[in-house]
Amino acid sequence: MSAVVTSPAPRTMDANEAVADVAYRASEVIAIYPITPSSIMGEHADAWAAEARPNLWGAVPDVVEMQSEGGAAGAVHGALQGGALTTTFTASQGLLLMLPDLFKVAGELTAFCMHVAARTVATHALSIFGDHSDVMAARTTGVALLASGSAQEAQDLAAIGHATTLLARVPILHFFDGFRTSHEITRVVPLADETLRQLLDPAAIAAHRARALDPDAPVIRGTAQNPDTYFQAREAAEPFYTRFPDLLAATMDRFEALTGRRYRPFDYEGDPKAERVIVLMGSGAECAHETVEYLRGKGERVGVLKVRLFRPFSLAHLLSALPRSVQALTVLDRTKEAGAAGEPLLQELTTALVEAVAAGSLPMLPRLAGGRYGLASKEFTPAMVKAVFDDMRAPSPRRRFTVGIRDDVSGSSLPWDEALDIEPDDVSRALFFGLGADGTVSANKATIKIIGERTPLFAQGHFEYDSRKAGSTTVSHLRFGPRPIRSTYGIRRAQLVAVHDPELLERRDVLGAAMPGATVLLNTAVSPERVWETLTRETQDSLVRHRCRLFVIDGYGVAERAGLGGRINTVMQVCFFALSRVLPMDEAMGHVRRSIEETWGRRGPEVVRRNVVALDAALDALHEVEIPLAATAARHRAPVVPEDAPDFVQRVTRLLLEGRGNDLPVSAFPPDGTWPTGTSKFEKRAIARDIPIWQPDLCVQCNFCSMICPHAAIQTKVFAPSQLAGAPDGFRSVPETFEPALAGMQYAVQVAPEDCTGCGLCIEVCPAKDRLAPKRKALVSSPLAEHGDQERASFAFFENLQSAPIAALPIDKRTAALRLPLFEFSGACAGCGETPYLRLLTQLFGDHLLIANATGCSSIYGGNLPTTPYTKNAAGQGPAWVNSLFEDNAEVGLGLRLAVDMEARRARQLLAQVAPRLPAALVDALAQAHGDEAFYAARREQVRELVTLLGADASPEAAALREASRALVPRSVWIVGGDGWAYDIGYGGLDHVLASHRKVNVLVLDTEVYSNTGGQQSKATPLGASAKFATAGKATRKKDLGLMAMSYGHVYVAEVAMQSRSAQTVQAFLEAEAHPGPSLIVAHSPCIAHGYDLVASATQQKRAVDCGMWPLYRFDPRRVDRGEAPLVLDSKAPKLDVATYMQSEARFRMVELRDPARYAMLLEAARDGVRQRHALYEQLSRIHVPAETNHG
Amino acid sequence: MVDLSTSWLGLSLVSPLIVGASPLSKDTDAVAAAVEAGAGAVIMYSLFEEQLAAEQMAAHRFLDIRTDSDAEARTFMPDLDVFSLDAEPYVRQLERLRKRVTIPVIASLNGTTAGGWTRYAKTLESAGASALELNLYEIATSAEEEGAEVEQRQLDLVETIARAVAIPVTVKLSPFYSALPAFVRRLAGVGARGVAVFNRFYQPDVDLDTLGVDRHLVLSTSSELPLRLHALAILGARSKLDLACTGGVHTGRDAAKAILCGAHVVQLASALLQHGPAHVAVVRAELEAWLGEKGYRTSTEARGVLNLDGAPDPEAWERLNYTQILAGWRSSGGVP
Repeated sequence: MSAVVTSPAPRTMDANEAVADVAYRASEVIAIYPITPSSIMGEHADAWAAEARPNLWGAVPDVVEMQSEGGAAGAVHGALQGGALTTTFTASQGLLLMLPDLFKVAGELTAFCMHVAARTVATHALSIFGDHSDVMAARTTGVALLASGSAQEAQDLAAIGHATTLLARVPILHFFDGFRTSHEITRVVPLADETLRQLLDPAAIAAHRARALDPDAPVIRGTAQNPDTYFQAREAAEPFYTRFPDLLAATMDRFEALTGRRYRPFDYEGDPKAERVIVLMGSGAECAHETVEYLRGKGERVGVLKVRLFRPFSLAHLLSALPRSVQALTVLDRTKEAGAAGEPLLQELTTALVEAVAAGSLPMLPRLAGGRYGLASKEFTPAMVKAVFDDMRAPSPRRRFTVGIRDDVSGSSLPWDEALDIEPDDVSRALFFGLGADGTVSANKATIKIIGERTPLFAQGHFEYDSRKAGSTTVSHLRFGPRPIRSTYGIRRAQLVAVHDPELLERRDVLGAAMPGATVLLNTAVSPERVWETLTRETQDSLVRHRCRLFVIDGYGVAERAGLGGRINTVMQVCFFALSRVLPMDEAMGHVRRSIEETWGRRGPEVVRRNVVALDAALDALHEVEIPLAATAARHRAPVVPEDAPDFVQRVTRLLLEGRGNDLPVSAFPPDGTWPTGTSKFEKRAIARDIPIWQPDLCVQCNFCSMICPHAAIQTKVFAPSQLAGAPDGFRSVPETFEPALAGMQYAVQVAPEDCTGCGLCIEVCPAKDRLAPKRKALVSSPLAEHGDQERASFAFFENLQSAPIAALPIDKRTAALRLPLFEFSGACAGCGETPYLRLLTQLFGDHLLIANATGCSSIYGGNLPTTPYTKNAAGQGPAWVNSLFEDNAEVGLGLRLAVDMEARRARQLLAQVAPRLPAALVDALAQAHGDEAFYAARREQVRELVTLLGADASPEAAALREASRALVPRSVWIVGGDGWAYDIGYGGLDHVLASHRKVNVLVLDTEVYSNTGGQQSKATPLGASAKFATAGKATRKKDLGLMAMSYGHVYVAEVAMQSRSAQTVQAFLEAEAHPGPSLIVAHSPCIAHGYDLVASATQQKRAVDCGMWPLYRFDPRRVDRGEAPLVLDSKAPKLDVATYMQSEARFRMVELRDPARYAMLLEAARDGVRQRHALYEQLSRIHVPAETNHG
Repeated sequence: MVDLSTSWLGLSLVSPLIVGASPLSKDTDAVAAAVEAGAGAVIMYSLFEEQLAAEQMAAHRFLDIRTDSDAEARTFMPDLDVFSLDAEPYVRQLERLRKRVTIPVIASLNGTTAGGWTRYAKTLESAGASALELNLYEIATSAEEEGAEVEQRQLDLVETIARAVAIPVTVKLSPFYSALPAFVRRLAGVGARGVAVFNRFYQPDVDLDTLGVDRHLVLSTSSELPLRLHALAILGARSKLDLACTGGVHTGRDAAKAILCGAHVVQLASALLQHGPAHVAVVRAELEAWLGEKGYRTSTEARGVLNLDGAPDPEAWERLNYTQILAGWRSSGGVP
């Protein structure tokens, strides 16, 4: 008999942590692969294992990171076959990669519970956000599907899932909504070890272990069966599915006995005599529950049926939960199955109810309808729930609909009342608009922890991040109230709006959600007396209209004086407590102080000391500003995109930038996901406080600055002096003096002031110093506020300057930097080490470039809305870019090449057919293969001439050739991705593509970790580095991808490091493109995940090269034909101790600090590795390989 | 057989040859080898408050700033609970050394804030340090602050620390004091038990290629010894504090000179970095041989015999060296 176990005190956490906490303790083997938004579950498990936290049985689970989710599923399957209690965490494409193994695990009736932070599956676009398209794709595998709607439920159902699967032998996929639930922080009553132990049946565990493959009692599994057997054997499993719902319900009963929290396979909330009922699962059910309570208060007979168990679908449990009074039943699905008779939950419900009526267990079939909502975390609000209920009693209700969008194409959408707000006044609601780097979200998490764990109030925090990695903005939604909070949607009316950077007021209507009488907190360096006059007309109007109280603080000043730089988290947290009055101020200050000690005291007292200084100074710096009776400003908020921007940018991009993308109707969007390039130039973010200002008197015209800039925000150009007429005042240029062939031309270095991120790399690498004042370089860091106007005008002029003809000049590191970048102003991190390679790629081949881009950082800064960086030249040519998936990128690139080659062959065949009717010289010219740099311009001219001539030819083949003629301009196909793709998940495909002998180029942007998902180790992680899943320091060597590719003999391979050796990089890119077969360039890419100030990345990269950790080389198979060794070493023998390199990056240093003995061992191993690798390469660079015999 | 045992800061040492503060003490095996070779005590490498604070703030700036700033990554490095950037690594090494060797282990502290000095002093005391060596390191760049103010601040600091801990405190000084004996007298007054002369610093140099300033730390040579001998000879006669010679001792004869001038102990650092920890034995053998040759039965017997009071020609310590050398040149050269 189970006994009620005392519940631990409530804690605040998100579902990822709550679920991982259960799954970890209930498992022995955890095999994972990082994918948003589930990565954090794996990271928690990894961190706990690293600190030797035991599971329920006293063992530390083995947490292993695999090369893909497919790999993780395989490892899971194997571990289960070996009898281990096993789990995994995943989402979206990851789940799709697991499907084959899930069929196996289910088919073998294996006790297994996995957890999915449900996320949109990539279709016309990738989305990291939440819906059920991934889990619905798993519904044919035979796993049970269990849904949770909140962190508390997710934790509890995780426990129930682990317990039930052991009894039922049907594997369970437990899911909860990505971000909305996985990342939303709320109060959760944790589960004690003892509770879990009582829940997990020891006999069932023993039975699971007894089913392990065992040579002492050998059996075989995974036979191949014939038509005589398979069907019957498959049906033999049916009883396990039949009894599953009852076993689940029984476990839920036991759980209730242990904890007092009750769950059923279907939970009904609402009027016991409800006439209208909504059925749904996940977090949307919480919002529906809240709305049902509101509507019942208004006398409506409504209810909501929360589906916990979707599969195996239990009609009996459905009928026991559903009021017989129901007349209309609407099923809401958070997924779209294009072309289906109905979405999955609707179909299941329909089948079940029809069957129930047929069987006589239900007197009549309620009026059934189905709607889609909430795709990719689209807001789902009480107003939308009410719209659904309202439609159910409309004279002619819709049978199928969407809710939450305006569908002006198919007319599917229900209208809803934007103004409806059902949140009671005793719930405190605060909205915070912050910058990613200012600590706003961390501070709000700390606030939630304080209120949720140290007061009786319930707390909820939900956080929005934009997709920018530099200068990103965040919006935090915080609620505190006396009752559990079910509001699973953004705050629409806030009593407090905190604006942590005044620039945010210039970009969007952040006060739109301010309630009448709301308190507005603004962080600004402007004095309280002057603040009012600096606000725009729109902001002033909002403040007056909403009768707001305005408080200001110079948070940056307080933080700066406390030695905290731009970290205003503590300062703003104190202001929140002062203004919200959620807690008495003295008590709040005490809590904040304790929270500072707990959060920042881990690494030593200095951060705590400085934060306490800031804490003590914050209140004195907070001032109220009196708001006049009416707005006084003449200045209006500037349009977010220029008025002369293209139509699409005006219609669509502008709204996205204003934070109004939800207002766009369906018709605004291309139906296939195609999007224009070159939109980043319209998003002027102005995120740098200081920008580089060119000092022409010192400049040596080396172009180092434009070559290293990660954002193409500093550019260099040579142009004819005649164009200077019309230059704005203050535009600077000097005679070009570097290149004799360009004598007589002008040279300019120009910053794009509103696109610069202020990373400082250009200044760092600038070699020109003032001999009289060596502090002054040819680039001087200066405040944007002072120089913005001048540089804006100068950049606008600079952009339109026509470059001097440089095509005839040999391409080297200097002339490459003078070419037009067709990758500009991306949202990558300040100081990003990847983007300079992409910019160079577009400078060299941009006008005829096709890119297949693996998912990862480079696909996010390369293709994440609202604006994207790949752009076009004046002729409208530029890179065409596609992101398919993470795992398939090499293959996609190969496919592009196959198609391009096929199209070119078709064009040449057609050309041969019409050739007799064309000028012979033109036909000859078009027949020539690639030539020098001037080739492409000439070829485009020839194609233009061809098309003109074909215009006069009425033959079908001429018409066909006109259409196919573009293929006569050769395409450069580049396959781009990070090390997670190339070394791990995509390695099989990459290997195959390299082996193919097709003309594709591969650029691996090697940051040596999974950067985009937060620094998990890959096989590119160097020996000795700490990374997630290798916290103690990676003990094995980095995979030598280049060497593996060299082994084929026909692949061009180079390892490059552009920040320190751009000449070699340029040479490698050109040689790779010229090589007739496949090429592979592995590019050293400094990354924030290395843990140092990226302004030092050029120095640090040089150390990597000089110590031998990153040797530079080019392996060119064509050299063999010339009787030379194919490998050329471009870096000298290691001359620097590896330790000098390693001690400058936190990823190595943290290993030393944590365990000096291990560090010493790893350092020695790293030294050995460097010595051995150099010795091998050195020998390879001297070998003689006989040239291939032509077998003709 | 000469008895080398000595007393310093109230600690009984088997030898006046001790391991001075240097990276050598990061290597527990090397320290054990130095003990094996006859070292009397070990002073650990310095704990730099400034460096700890800078490293904590750098971690805060480059790691914490990335926390909660991105939808896809909560952080970009493993959970940072796993390492401390405060005194823990130093304390752990101190404890390792104490476990490994039986000779006194002295902690060396280089603070920047009043709170930091005392906090770390207490931490090191409770971690089992036998004594503390404080590095008073001040480069005057202000044209406003007088020397007396600087000295007073340093004295206040030493007093605070000496009161805060029960273990003996010795102060490692720079050579840049205008009235060293008086300052040392005042140090004794505020609770210091000893002084070490002199600290050696990074030497900034000018890089002519880059128009920049470069910093190097070069190992000492015996040529740096005379500056120390001079100070020891004066302090040996004027101060009751226990004296340590640091900088320039590479041989047993160097050590003998320092002892004759008044050193209770002689610190070896550069010599050990250059020749390895076993080099202590070479120095020790040479010292013993010289003392024996001259008839000293103990090293204590030789201590200070050539100090300002004891030297046959005390003026040699007092008069400007330049004059002496000039005079010597004249007398030998015979030029009128």
